[in-house]
Amino acid sequence: MIPALALVLGVTLGLVLEPTVPAALQPYLPIAVVAALDAVFGAVRAQLEGIFDDRVFVVSFVSNVLVAGLVVFLGDQLGVGGQLSTGVVVVLGIRIFSNAAAIRRRVFHA
Amino acid sequence: MSLLVDMMTNALDESYAERAARRTGEAAPVPESASASGRRRTLAGFAVLVALGLLTGTAIAQVRQRQEVGTGLRADLAAQARDRTAQTDALAGQTDLLRAEVTAIREAALSADAAGRALTARLTALGLASGTTPVRGPGIVVTVQDAPAGTSKQTDPLRPGTAPEGRVQDRDLQDVVNGLWAASAEAVAVNGQRLTALTAIRSAGDAILVDLRPLTPPYVVAAVGDPEELELAFVDGPSGRRLQTFSSLYGITFEVRREQELSLAGAAAPDLRAASPAPGGGS
Repeated sequence: MIPALALVLGVTLGLVLEPTVPAALQPYLPIAVVAALDAVFGAVRAQLEGIFDDRVFVVSFVSNVLVAGLVVFLGDQLGVGGQLSTGVVVVLGIRIFSNAAAIRRRVFHA
Repeated sequence: MSLLVDMMTNALDESYAERAARRTGEAAPVPESASASGRRRTLAGFAVLVALGLLTGTAIAQVRQRQEVGTGLRADLAAQARDRTAQTDALAGQTDLLRAEVTAIREAALSADAAGRALTARLTALGLASGTTPVRGPGIVVTVQDAPAGTSKQTDPLRPGTAPEGRVQDRDLQDVVNGLWAASAEAVAVNGQRLTALTAIRSAGDAILVDLRPLTPPYVVAAVGDPEELELAFVDGPSGRRLQTFSSLYGITFEVRREQELSLAGAAAPDLRAASPAPGGGS
């Protein structure tokens, strides 16, 4: 309940305040969101499996966002930023889906 | 493939399991939320989720903003184009008025004596022939239009980048105009643009230009002359037959219509390239 509230609060803040992102960071924002989502799905699954740990969650969240941003940044420098961000989205997408499947199994037993 | 399989099976961060294993190794865990460090950790999780929400919201806001900027720019450009077109039209109208004024003044000045009147007659004849004087009279209107979409194959596979076959080309329009001249038309205008001996019909990209002004289909070619004679000579002439061939081959549509009253605007007087008025007037 509280996490959901925190999420809603964050989205509302972002939409209402429309913070200006430096132009240099703009390409990494969507990637950061996907990476962060991966961490959140992992946390939800861990919670359901009873092995959730706040510290792991925070660390995995931050490192996911940073690593994803770094990979795309490196790709940009090498001239393959678009392809690498596609790669990041695919890999994280697969992880999100398999975690979501595990969550679904836990919740609905189906 | 092992990488992909690994990714699918071990989707969950392994450190969760590790920490859990370490915790069970310790003494019975204290109810976490009760302890001070537990509360701090919950707070950290809360902060992280707010951060995620903020990231998402900002990203969404960014994309929206970019779209708004894009549509705004396009609307700006379209408005500018409309403005300029309106300006051009206004200036063209002004030119017509001024030209009529010049003609009237000239006629008034020359009507004093017989030599002047002869000169006026000659000027009128020359103006008619050169296309700078507006004319009216009976004639025919040839309307040519691109083939409707879907009736022809899209692009020529042998020459990629060329216009679809069903599109009217500049040379087709040239052919129509030449056919009309050959059918003894006395004055010709394309989409309201009067043609003179110096008018160029050519294409730039996908647009056909007449005197550097782009045309929009349908292409309406109006020719002043004896309607019956013009129509017979044009339709049976080589360019009329060619149009019929294009029509059956590529689906270009064309229509020839007789008109009892056509009025064609005058073309702009050609720019003087080398000549300049002599000092002290013509006397």
